[in-house]
Amino acid sequence: MSERTLRNQSRDPLAVEYSAALAGLSVVPIATFFAAFVVGGLTLAGQRSLGSTILGIEIETVLTALLFVAGGCLLAISVGSRYGVIETTPDRSAGLGVASGFGFVAFSGIGLAMSQTFGLGRLVWAPLALIGGLTVAGAIVFAREDLGVTVPAGLFSVAIGSLVLFDGLTPAWAWSPAGFGVTFNGTVLIPLLTIVAGLVTAWAAANAFEGFGAAGRQAGAFFLIGANATLILLVLLLLIAFIVKNGFWYAVDGIEIGPGLNFHWPFVMDGYDVVLNQKGIYPAIIGTFWLVVGALVMAVPIGVGAAVFLTEYAEEGRFTSVIDIATNGLWSTPSVVFGLFGYAFLVPRLGNNTSLLAGMIVLGFMLLPLVLITSREAIKSVPDEYRDASAALGVSKWETIKDVTIPSAMPGIVTGIIIGIGRIAGETAPILIVTADNPQRSSAPAIMGSFELTTSPPFIVNEALLSGSSALPYQLYGAITTGVVGDDPGYGWATAFVLLLVVLSFYVIGITTRIYFRKKLQA
Amino acid sequence: MSNTQNASHDPAESNRDDRSADAVTQTTAGESQEETQTEWTDYEFRGEPKLSVDDLDVYYGDERALQGITMDIPENSVTALIGPSGCGKSTFLRCLNRMNDRIKSASVDGSVELEGEEIYQDGLDLVTLRKRVGMVFQSPNPFPKTIRDNISYGPRKHGDIETGLLARLLGDDSGEREEKLVERCLKQAALWEEVSDRLDDNALGLSGGQQQRLCIARCLAVDPEVILMDEPASALDPIATAKIEDLIEELAEEYTVVVVTHNMQQAARISDQTAVFLTGGELVEFDDTDKIFENPESQRVEDYVTGKFG
Ligand SMILES: Nc1ncnc2c1ncn2[C@@H]1O[C@H](COP(=O)(O)OP(=O)(O)OP(=O)(O)O)[C@@H](O)[C@H]1O
Ligand SMILES: [Mg+2]
Repeated sequence: MSERTLRNQSRDPLAVEYSAALAGLSVVPIATFFAAFVVGGLTLAGQRSLGSTILGIEIETVLTALLFVAGGCLLAISVGSRYGVIETTPDRSAGLGVASGFGFVAFSGIGLAMSQTFGLGRLVWAPLALIGGLTVAGAIVFAREDLGVTVPAGLFSVAIGSLVLFDGLTPAWAWSPAGFGVTFNGTVLIPLLTIVAGLVTAWAAANAFEGFGAAGRQAGAFFLIGANATLILLVLLLLIAFIVKNGFWYAVDGIEIGPGLNFHWPFVMDGYDVVLNQKGIYPAIIGTFWLVVGALVMAVPIGVGAAVFLTEYAEEGRFTSVIDIATNGLWSTPSVVFGLFGYAFLVPRLGNNTSLLAGMIVLGFMLLPLVLITSREAIKSVPDEYRDASAALGVSKWETIKDVTIPSAMPGIVTGIIIGIGRIAGETAPILIVTADNPQRSSAPAIMGSFELTTSPPFIVNEALLSGSSALPYQLYGAITTGVVGDDPGYGWATAFVLLLVVLSFYVIGITTRIYFRKKLQA
Repeated sequence: MSNTQNASHDPAESNRDDRSADAVTQTTAGESQEETQTEWTDYEFRGEPKLSVDDLDVYYGDERALQGITMDIPENSVTALIGPSGCGKSTFLRCLNRMNDRIKSASVDGSVELEGEEIYQDGLDLVTLRKRVGMVFQSPNPFPKTIRDNISYGPRKHGDIETGLLARLLGDDSGEREEKLVERCLKQAALWEEVSDRLDDNALGLSGGQQQRLCIARCLAVDPEVILMDEPASALDPIATAKIEDLIEELAEEYTVVVVTHNMQQAARISDQTAVFLTGGELVEFDDTDKIFENPESQRVEDYVTGKFG
């Protein structure tokens, strides 16, 4: 930017004005993209209909106008840049990537229009669409970069705008492709296409804003990357918002505080009891909590220990690579297979009924490979300088591992555990097979109260570990399959909401731990 | 790891004259005939040798990195090792505290004696050896711990300092000893002034030069007799380098210092004697530093120290 401004100043003073024009023209499509994204997004999410109004204007009209404005600005830039009215520094060509992208758009557009709208046969539309696509791609390759980027993007936007304006595409429009049981509706396609066209024009505009060339391509790429990251965040937020919106009020319904220290939160603190007219998920929360804790107790020491052995002691070679392959295989094994193993192997040996303990062990097995893999990577990435420094002080290998290597690897190890918890806390299939008895339980296994000391081995027993239990994801599954949710949808959403809270609170613990260990390592 | 130690080498037999003879034969056998004329092996030592190296060969796999090195390193002095890159200076240094054991492909043949005791003998206690022969690396490598913990790490691991809950429960809180040790080592390493008020900060927050001095302090904390330094100032600016150089000269009053350097002026400034290695892993000349830089016996050494070839 600054380079260009300098050059402009050395030429005639008017050029600076033109640069401002470029900035203005290229900011507009970016702004319209955000507008289209918000308005279109609201429509897609079903919050507004295409026929409703915003600021007194019908949404369909708003979207069409946005398409025309963005496309028009781009076409203006292309003309200005072509005839040197607007100062830019384009390369000779927009490149094969851009050409094939727009070529593919042209191919699909022409192909769809001819085959679906005009009903032409495959032998007719395919060659024509191919020729159309190749022509567009070729034109872009041989045109200068400023034209190759702006013209197709602008035309694409204007074309879609025209389609809507001249009722080629109306909200009532519907398309059911033959042999594919889905109907595409105008109500979905109009906002969707507007957003897509907005994205393309905004990308081209970001490119133009920096005057094309290397700086322009970088700006375009940054825009796309930024949009991508925002989208991911939005999807996450949307998901959470959706669950919170649907589940929150049901979950907090009937909370009583007082008198005194009395506190009662029916949904979280009651069981599920038709007779008492209670619809709570306390047993499932407790079940999930103990399952996660039990799996961690099983998997973390073994996993970290094995990682230390494999990384620090075992010779890199066939043995370690076989273990690595086996670990990766174990990690990708479907959870239902772990469940079946537990059912065939553990359940008969643990009192012959489904039990919390069997669930803990199965989930522990599932967690083990992840803890092993991540710990191994974390230990490997501890710089050898630390080990050398310690050895040069005459410190033995084990002491070095204990006091230098593992503390340095701790943040990585904890990260692995956090990811692992996310997986096992939401696991349904193995729980269904080895732990669950009745999904809507009225009471939770009392683990804490059931520890008992005995005079004979194993000296400490806990009968409750051998009882069946529910767990949140399983409770949700059970509620859906037994029709509880059908009668009372809020119950399902609230369960999902609480599951989310439980998983998030495990995350908070994990992330706090990680921050603690990181702090210790950093200046 | 196949540390062939010289079983045939009876300590009584391996007196200095013997070794000089060895070395002469060795150089005669070497490719350079010209070298046979040099008499540098008659170099007179001040006092007893702290370390004596005899006919030391090192191989990485089949690659020979050091050829029949024989030299005696005198006590309480600075010995500089110079030579072109890849000539085996670091390799030689690592032989002196058996850090080469940690490199899988390395094998060592020959003898190194620390005060007359063979370090390449079976059953030698590496812990004791490395406590006695400390090492400072080329790039500063403090642990990601507090400054205090970096220094007390070694002594704590060797049981010289007990801190923590158990020690406190047993009534043996040597926290005060730790404080004293930390202060002594940091003062010796000329770092105390700069860090005395932030001993509980992470060592990685120090500058490169401070980190290197911290590494020296960490090495001093286990009370070594010999300190090996591999280009300790190569990553530092001139001011930090000057500090390290002063420090090395000071340390030589109490310790035997062996320092690898690429900087001729540095070697000339700080060392009492200098060993010149040349490509192929041979020790070409070992003598008083003044002699090496002013009037070396070997033409190749003269060429090297005057910068004619490297
Ligand atoms: N770990 C190793 N494995 C295999 N070969 C090695 C290893 N370390 C060093 N070598 C080889 O041994 C020779 C001597 O290396 P060394 O590191 O001792 O040189 P140097 O004199 O310290 O060089 P520089 O001044 O560049 O540090 C080199 O040819 C090098 O390739
Ligand atoms: Mg080196």
